[in-house]
Amino acid sequence: MASHSNESHAVDYKKAKSKHSAKLHYLTFSLSMILTVISFYIVGNIIDPAREYAITSWTFGLPFITLLAIVQALFQLIFWMHMNEKGHLFPAMGIALGGFIAFTAVIATVYWLGW
Amino acid sequence: MAGAVKRYSGLMDWLTTVDHKKIGILYLISAGIFFLFGGVEALLIRLQLFFPEQNLFGENTAEIFNQLITMHGTTMIFFAAMPLIFALMNAIVPLQIGARDVAFPYVNALSFWLFLFGGVLLNTSYLLGGAPDAGWTAYAALSTKAYSGSGVDFYVLGLQIAGLGTLIGGINFLVTIINMRAPGMTFMRMPLFTWASFVTSALVLFAFPAITVALVLLMFDRLFNAQFFEVAGGGNVVLWEHIFWIFGHPEVYILILPAFGIISEVLSTFSHKRLFGYGTMVFATALIGFLGFMVWVHHMFTVGLGPIANAIFAIATMLIAVPTGIKIFNWLLTMWGGHIRFTAASLYAIGFIPTFVIGGMTGIMLTLPPADFQFQDSYFVVAHFHYTIVGGLIFGMFSGMYYWWPKMFGRMLNETMGKISFWFFFVGFHMTFFIQHWLGLDGMPRRVYTYLAGQGFEKGNFISTIGAMLMGVSIIVMMINIIVTQMKKADAPADPWDGRTLEWAISSPAPEYNFAQLPRVRGLDALWIEKMAGNKGMIPAEPLAEIHMPSPSIMPFVKALGLFIAGYGFMFNGNTKATSLPVVGFVFEHYILAAAGVAVFLFGMFLRSVYDDQGFHIPIEEIHVDQEENA
Repeated sequence: MASHSNESHAVDYKKAKSKHSAKLHYLTFSLSMILTVISFYIVGNIIDPAREYAITSWTFGLPFITLLAIVQALFQLIFWMHMNEKGHLFPAMGIALGGFIAFTAVIATVYWLGW
Repeated sequence: MAGAVKRYSGLMDWLTTVDHKKIGILYLISAGIFFLFGGVEALLIRLQLFFPEQNLFGENTAEIFNQLITMHGTTMIFFAAMPLIFALMNAIVPLQIGARDVAFPYVNALSFWLFLFGGVLLNTSYLLGGAPDAGWTAYAALSTKAYSGSGVDFYVLGLQIAGLGTLIGGINFLVTIINMRAPGMTFMRMPLFTWASFVTSALVLFAFPAITVALVLLMFDRLFNAQFFEVAGGGNVVLWEHIFWIFGHPEVYILILPAFGIISEVLSTFSHKRLFGYGTMVFATALIGFLGFMVWVHHMFTVGLGPIANAIFAIATMLIAVPTGIKIFNWLLTMWGGHIRFTAASLYAIGFIPTFVIGGMTGIMLTLPPADFQFQDSYFVVAHFHYTIVGGLIFGMFSGMYYWWPKMFGRMLNETMGKISFWFFFVGFHMTFFIQHWLGLDGMPRRVYTYLAGQGFEKGNFISTIGAMLMGVSIIVMMINIIVTQMKKADAPADPWDGRTLEWAISSPAPEYNFAQLPRVRGLDALWIEKMAGNKGMIPAEPLAEIHMPSPSIMPFVKALGLFIAGYGFMFNGNTKATSLPVVGFVFEHYILAAAGVAVFLFGMFLRSVYDDQGFHIPIEEIHVDQEENA
């Protein structure tokens, strides 16, 4: 009997956990939608590339939607591709290292040294 | 229990094999053939430079010389050195970690066939309008359509196909080493060659996408009239140099790290000692791999990126000398007080140390931007990178070949011939390249097809060419050795060198399934621990049972063939010579051949996705038969 109750505890735990993770999925999905709408709004309203300081200017708008894209990519990786669960040490290391190398290369080539 | 799977024999066996040991042999054979191609090209280069003002190839000597240096570099780096590394990785890594195969055997076969077809495609350029002639680095402007022949198309497509194979090979070995280690084989118990293969695979994973991007951009420029590197169209030629060297510098560590691994194994075995400073060796390997990505601008000091950029990348480059120095001292201390046996394998390993130190030292000299402005594009650079690549990588690979030959083929290479070959190679190598340091310092430019008499270059070039011939003699002796050995009976003992690592615990050559029972690993130098404990072999970690094996498949070959055909389709589409062909002309008009090749590849992928291959099982009786044969 003891083992049976243990099993049902495990099932309950699993259920609760998947419920929790489903909630996070919905949350991040709707957040992603909102972020996408914001990016579209910004791009749609950039009329004058010379305009400064407004949210819909090139100088602010372009880096801002890049930031939104990074947030969305993180949502995707962490919640939808299960990077928040255990057993992802090597993929996490690989992504971090690859990201670092790509970041160095792109920043150095494009922004610092110029091509 | 899976259904009966057809097990092929003869040629079909080799075309369909997914066995890592056979793929290793295929890699070795094709690497050997490409190595001979590259070697002949090297000899022709040296013969042209034997005496001043020669025209060895008639009035087109300059053009042919450009093709020869390009093909020599490209072939040696991508189609001789890389597959040599993959040959030994395939043959040995699964055995060293106590696995039955790599993680994705089918993908492994695909890696090999993509590499081979890429190499064949590149070399057919000689017959189809001339080989690439823009140097192995294919710097833009020179490699764009305006300044180079159609050969560069072959370079672009051949390297893309082969690079795809290398990339998936790297992923395969990463997954294999992370997931398929035998019980007890923790990361810090892995032999150094496996560690080096691991770091190399990671470098392949991160570096090859960069070259792929570069090649795709160049391909679009050349075949589809894009303007990434056309200055007139707003393109930029320095972009190519950046992307190429972001790949190119890690690439040289991809080449040298496995050699470091082999040297560590061989010196430890033949010094009868545990490797000195194992932990620092692992750390140094990983650190070199990481730093390798942060130094690419040192190939571009003279581009004019400014003193700050040059200084930062100079210092980053000098940092690499620290882990490399750690390795050199660890090897010396491994030999210190050891009971050293001078076999062909250990001679190459011992010869490696001083040779590579010279190459590393000239590397530090080249790191200093003010000095580099003087060395740039001279024979000093040629001497430097041949010291690191031949004196480093090739010495390491030859050492590994003599060491693991019995494990790969079940036969021992002849030691006397091996030693003769070594001494010819060692003396010939230093004769060829040591003198080139002075040729460079005296101002002889690289990649120029001849030189004038009376400028002081005669003696150096003469000596250098004689040295290259000695290296040729060494390779001929080695080939005779291989042929004679392969005609003998396969009777090598399981452990001919008194080895320390897992691959020597099983018969030579290893049975199809490698380990009848997976071994239990109790520490670094797993087999040595059992020997010292008085055990006959490894302690099994599982009962004897049926062994699940992947089934052979012809599809990797077919898929690679598809991309090979597509390559020609893209290159010759719209080409007036091709479209005017009598019967097949029309397929070159509307990308029909290209589409057909790509379709074959995609169809192969589709089949692979829908057809669920269960593999097959080797029954226990068969394992018993094998064991009795080897007893």
